[in-house]
Amino acid sequence: VATAQATLARPRQRRRSGLPERRLAAAMVSPSLIVILIVAAFPIGYAIWLSLHQYSVIHPGLSRWVGLDNYRDALGSGSFWSAVKVTFIFTAISVTLELALGMGMALLMHAAFKGRTVLRAVVLVPWAILTVGTALTWKYIVSPDSGFFNQILKALHLPGANKVWLAENGYAMTVMVIADVWKTAPFMALLLLAGLQVIPEELEDAARVDGASAWQRFVKVTLPLLRPAILVALIFRTLDALRIFDLPYVLTQGSNGTTTLSLYSYQQLTQNRLIGPGSALAVLTFIIVMAVSFVYIRFAGENIRQMAAEK
Amino acid sequence: VQEQRGKGINEEEIVNFRLATAGAILACAAVAAAGCGSSSSKGGGATSGGASTPKNASTVTPAMAANPSGNVTWCIGKDTTGAFSQVVKLYNQSHPNVHVRLLELPTSADQQRTQLVQREQAKSPECDVLGMDVIWTAEFAAQGWLKDVTPAIQARSSEFIPSTVKTTEINGKNWAIPFNTNAGLLFYNKGKIHTPPTTWQQAYQMAKSSGGIGFQGQSYEGLTVNYLEMLFSAGGSVLSPDGKKATIDSPQAQQVLAFMQQGLKSGAAPQANLTYMEEESRNAFQTGKVSLLRNWPYVYALARQAKVNFGVEPLPTWAGGKPASVLGGYNLGISAYSKNPGAALSFINYATEPAAQKKFFIKSSLPAVVASVYHDPAVIKAQPFAPPLLKAVESGQARPVSPVYPQISEAIYKNVYSALSSGTSPKSALSQAQSQINSALKTF
Repeated sequence: VATAQATLARPRQRRRSGLPERRLAAAMVSPSLIVILIVAAFPIGYAIWLSLHQYSVIHPGLSRWVGLDNYRDALGSGSFWSAVKVTFIFTAISVTLELALGMGMALLMHAAFKGRTVLRAVVLVPWAILTVGTALTWKYIVSPDSGFFNQILKALHLPGANKVWLAENGYAMTVMVIADVWKTAPFMALLLLAGLQVIPEELEDAARVDGASAWQRFVKVTLPLLRPAILVALIFRTLDALRIFDLPYVLTQGSNGTTTLSLYSYQQLTQNRLIGPGSALAVLTFIIVMAVSFVYIRFAGENIRQMAAEK
Repeated sequence: VQEQRGKGINEEEIVNFRLATAGAILACAAVAAAGCGSSSSKGGGATSGGASTPKNASTVTPAMAANPSGNVTWCIGKDTTGAFSQVVKLYNQSHPNVHVRLLELPTSADQQRTQLVQREQAKSPECDVLGMDVIWTAEFAAQGWLKDVTPAIQARSSEFIPSTVKTTEINGKNWAIPFNTNAGLLFYNKGKIHTPPTTWQQAYQMAKSSGGIGFQGQSYEGLTVNYLEMLFSAGGSVLSPDGKKATIDSPQAQQVLAFMQQGLKSGAAPQANLTYMEEESRNAFQTGKVSLLRNWPYVYALARQAKVNFGVEPLPTWAGGKPASVLGGYNLGISAYSKNPGAALSFINYATEPAAQKKFFIKSSLPAVVASVYHDPAVIKAQPFAPPLLKAVESGQARPVSPVYPQISEAIYKNVYSALSSGTSPKSALSQAQSQINSALKTF
């Protein structure tokens, strides 16, 4: 869809026929919009419909309209708010670390050296692994019996060699964050690398001629020009992180303070078959994710407008 | 400049739109689960006026199975050892008028349940015979997805191990026929332990000096089972006899929970248990990390392959308590939408008679629901744990038979887990479980 948008919007140089062309564009976009509507809007609408009902698990085939009761129950329950907290803590920490690490990796890969192409491919490997696979790998790595993490600690006589990392509050979240960063920092790096490559080298050279240090060049030249790429990368990662499910499901089953929103709604919806309340949780997750993306998009739009004005 | 600005705004629009679409698509995925996984039947339909099983469910009698004919489809989890298809073949050979077809569901129990639920919600007649985990039976019956098979059970009541029949019983009626059973056993490392413990107290005492005891302590269904085994032995219960009230906030329940807590604290049970499911705990036993292990009979063959010198016993009892275990296994029910219930029953009877039960036990390690099979020399040769297992099964109890069992179990394992891992006091963990179970029982 995105590429279709880009190609559609380009032949705008022929300005004479403004309005009909807009209409033409709309017509050409409409098939994909209809598909989006069927694929995306229908399930959302249906989930909202389900969330306004209760479907009995005791009386066969019975359901009743309960209005916003499911939402009231969710918002009034400690489990929901604790899941919100867990989800946001996870998102904030993991996305921040991914940005920092991804930036480092991108700068490294941007530098010209032999074997750069190979490195770029290799770096992406963790991202290509299924999240469930990542989770299982990390579960094994930190397992107290046979995982190599504790073995290394033991060999180096460091404390914690007998710790059961996934069975403790705080550490369980830490493992989850590390697994996520390991998997997705390369993705972040790739997006940032793409941003780095469109920055004209002349700007950097000019700054160097003016006597700017490497740090100054990074902060004053590279970073501002990289802002749009950073924002896009952040949006992708944040929205993904807010919906995290696989990692806690495999690593901890949600124990020790790792029940995220998605996992919680899965438990209600699938395990307990509470279709109404479970759907309400899914809709709330959706609203939260939408709200966050809205803030980002506003911010991104503002940012790009500013940049355009500066030019 | 004008030209550039125009371009800038243009790009911004594109970016905006792209982001909005991307955001919408990503966010949708969060809700998609709700959309696809939950096509539920709408209201109206057959109501049952408050009873937890449908009053108008049709009954299948033994007479209907007398002259079977036509097609029957048997839906059950993956036939990993080929025993299911072998028995289907034998049945088809001896019943030329019937054709039974095996429809294999996924290996994972959760996936099996989801697939069966979807078919039943769609009132699909595809599956005649449903292979259900014992803990889904009540839910399926309550939803009106099963035919009443009480007369069929009554006609053969002396054949089955009584505890296994209990798992099919709701409101005094039977909604399925036991197919295979299962119960926890105590495995012990013979190199470290000479006489196996008979009480849990002894077991933990021995564990402390010999390397520890392993169990399934992750926050999931397995922990509920582990906890209930001790609780039932200590004389505790989860629900009142009429099934209407939670009774888990009891002195016995507190003692048991405090005992498990203490076991983890003293090192008798390694902390790692809090991350164990079946396989992790089996690994710990096979690699010598623990000297005692509570697990299911499937461990037997694998531990023997791994050349571990071990013995196996029924689970210990609570000091001063009675022998108890918690039953697993599968039941076979007849779908309410089956077009051929008579032949379905004929096949179920065939699959649950001693001859077929012996095959399943030997070939697939699926413990029989018929007591006589456990004394068969061929069975004992293939599955030497059969005698202790029969004892365990005979003293076995069903997990609470309730359509809201998943919520009841969740209330147990989450609160027990929080007592074990973050030191919540047994008293407050159990009163929390009690109130959660009570509200689960009020589920509409």
